[in-house]
Amino acid sequence: MLRDITIGQYYPENSIIHRLDPRFKILATFVYIISLFIIDKLFAYTLVTVFLGILIILSKVPLAYILRGLKPIFIIIIITFGINIFMTKGVVIYNIGPLEITKEGLTTAVFMVLRLIYLIVGTSLLTLTTSPIQLTDGIEKLLNPFKRIGVPAHELAMMMTIALRFIPTLLEETDKIMKAQMARGADFESGNIVKRAKSLIPLLVPLFIGAFRRADDLAMAMEARCYRGGENRTRMKELRLHKRDYIASVIVIAFVVLLIFTRIQG
Amino acid sequence: MTKMIETIDLVYEYQKDEDERIMALKKVGLKVKKGEFVAILGHNGSGKSTLAKLMNAIYLPSGGKVYIKNMDTTNEEKIWEIRRTAGMVFQNPDNQIVATTVEEDVAFGPENLGVAPKEIRERVEGAMKAVGIDEFRKKSPHLLSGGQKQRVAIAGVLAMKPECIILDEPTAMLDPSGRKEVMDTIVKLNKEGITVIHITHFMDEAVKADRIVVMDNGNIALDGKPKDVFSNVDRLKQLGLDVPQVTLLAHELKNEGIAISENILTVDEMVNELCRLL
Repeated sequence: MLRDITIGQYYPENSIIHRLDPRFKILATFVYIISLFIIDKLFAYTLVTVFLGILIILSKVPLAYILRGLKPIFIIIIITFGINIFMTKGVVIYNIGPLEITKEGLTTAVFMVLRLIYLIVGTSLLTLTTSPIQLTDGIEKLLNPFKRIGVPAHELAMMMTIALRFIPTLLEETDKIMKAQMARGADFESGNIVKRAKSLIPLLVPLFIGAFRRADDLAMAMEARCYRGGENRTRMKELRLHKRDYIASVIVIAFVVLLIFTRIQG
Repeated sequence: MTKMIETIDLVYEYQKDEDERIMALKKVGLKVKKGEFVAILGHNGSGKSTLAKLMNAIYLPSGGKVYIKNMDTTNEEKIWEIRRTAGMVFQNPDNQIVATTVEEDVAFGPENLGVAPKEIRERVEGAMKAVGIDEFRKKSPHLLSGGQKQRVAIAGVLAMKPECIILDEPTAMLDPSGRKEVMDTIVKLNKEGITVIHITHFMDEAVKADRIVVMDNGNIALDGKPKDVFSNVDRLKQLGLDVPQVTLLAHELKNEGIAISENILTVDEMVNELCRLL
């Protein structure tokens, strides 16, 4: 029952967006998030919409697939919209009982919701077009300069890789233990929350013991293969910036400058 | 011929409980020549796995010495060179694969050794071809069968260009077809000149070796060619081991007074021998 869980939400394709360097994509996403909070005018929002639209078309990821990522934050969007529309003071344009909808409230609400949606769509575009391994490599490389102040860049990346590697294995094991316990009459599905939480104990204990045993084995296997931390380690796949990455950087910078300009203008 | 592995009066002790010390190995002296295919047999707790881990400097001897190509395993400066020379494959196929794709995992060893990226790529290609997993290069390890995973592990060791591979019960958790895949790979690698130490409790696998070492209670009980070792049927039974079925049959026939050779290890040999007798 746990078999069909996919890790992350990578959508394999061979688009220009997929081929961009992960380091660039991570940085660009940061810049994009910040720029979302700079903009305050309809024109700027239109620009972002067009920009995002072009990116989505280029990425070849189906729109429906991207919008699926909005589902979990649907409630947050509704609440944000509600609070902004009713709580902003200004020119009243409509009354629902004691609640007043103001013109200013309506615009802020729409902008806030758009901001949230663009935030999610933009960041999921990163995870949709970058495989977990590439993301990990990118993060490791980006954190490298901070090694000197004690950021364990390599260790973090190695932990992420191992976690990604073992998630499916542990899920399979969970499934196996669950079935074994169910065969002996365990009940994971009925009762109130307390009872259900308690029924998880016979599942979690063997799972944890198994995970520790695996960790022990894996550490030994890694040492046997000469693993000794990040020092002097090379990589088979090196990240290399291509022409397309430089072009993309120029486009992103130009775009952000344009957005800042719209803000200063008014 | 040059020697690959040598143990001299090797002792290994460990603390089991507060006041109980276990002596897993008691004065083991073993010499393995370059290019040899040695199978190590023994029932559970005979010390065969401990011996393997001592050969890879995962455990260090409590007494005596282990030399890999004349390098002492207690010499800390040589430890990585020892582990590169004598690569190790473990029992559980799941718990020794580190990376999220097959080729990345095969690259793990050479990456740790600091090999240049271009050469890693070449080594990875070569190692994947050698064990026949190049078609799964981009696959995630959890989607592979047990036999395939074990071959990935072997390729991971091969990519470090070892001279010797130590396999610690690599087939124990596999189904018969997986076991065959792995055994075929091991035999092939040995033919290409790699020294193989194969720890197993399957007799039909041990038959394929040049030499069998039987461990019992921390000592070497028997050491010799498969034919010689398996002719000691009674001794093997006493050590808690089986002999290949055909060998057992020959033994029983001989006990019944039939003049059959006891050096029979395979079905083919049995057929020939029976035809001769008839």
